[in-house]
Amino acid sequence: MIMTQLYVVESADFLFLQHQLQLTPGNLSSHLSKLEEAGYVEIVKEFIERKPHTALKLTQRGRSAFKGYQQNLKQVFTDLPE
Amino acid sequence: MNESSLREVKKRTYMSYHQDGLVDIFVGIYVLLFALGILLMTLTDFSTWFVIPAIFPAIMVPIWVQAKKQITMPRIGFVKFGSRGQTKLMAIFIGLMVAGLGVFMVFAFASSTQPWASMVRELLISNGMIIIGIGAATISGLFAYTMGLNRLYAYGLSTLALLGIGHFITIPFGYLLLIIGLVIVINGFVLLMRFIRRYPLSQGDKALVEKPF
Repeated sequence: MIMTQLYVVESADFLFLQHQLQLTPGNLSSHLSKLEEAGYVEIVKEFIERKPHTALKLTQRGRSAFKGYQQNLKQVFTDLPE
Repeated sequence: MNESSLREVKKRTYMSYHQDGLVDIFVGIYVLLFALGILLMTLTDFSTWFVIPAIFPAIMVPIWVQAKKQITMPRIGFVKFGSRGQTKLMAIFIGLMVAGLGVFMVFAFASSTQPWASMVRELLISNGMIIIGIGAATISGLFAYTMGLNRLYAYGLSTLALLGIGHFITIPFGYLLLIIGLVIVINGFVLLMRFIRRYPLSQGDKALVEKPF
């Protein structure tokens, strides 16, 4: 779901993603760190008006991986016997 | 996860970012200013009142940005949509400008002395409210479709219905606009209150400070 949400936008911040996906901050951050390790998500941490702010966006690799996943899924459904 | 599901996710994302009612408040205020301009014009016979709604978009944009920054972003966060949605909106704006030019040319033709002009003039004067209603419904329909905000369809249709009624029972146009503007503003404030209650102010990404990646 994180990948889907980030795929349809250019970028989003942590708070927005948390609200959209209804995840706890800890849960979301652990998922995000795994996606970052895989090189799928770019995480930019900054301070805006002395408050921590985290901007997130899919990397080119993440976008291609998501597209590939989409095509694979489509193929699975196409190959299913009627 | 096919293209239509992705479109649905995008639409829902867009809708959630505009659930704060700010669109409604600003559109409603714009309609109210038009109503005020028309009413003042008829009461005082001074056409300069029309400057009020004309300059509103120029002051609206910075206020809009600030309202989003102060009200929406601290509560539900920030999202940047891709350029495709903005291109669609830009296409609508250009379409509206072309349509506006077309309307201007129709009016220019109607004010000429050609034989067909008086017929067009008569048609415009006798069905003015319905024509404006159809125009308003089309414009809000276009924005509703592009932005995925279904309540804009409702605004367009109720404007058309109200102006249609106004055409038959001859209520002054300014008062009708006043009603439409008030309804939109009130709905906007209701949505804003609901939004503020649903999403209390956040203190930034607290969890990330306590537990960094």
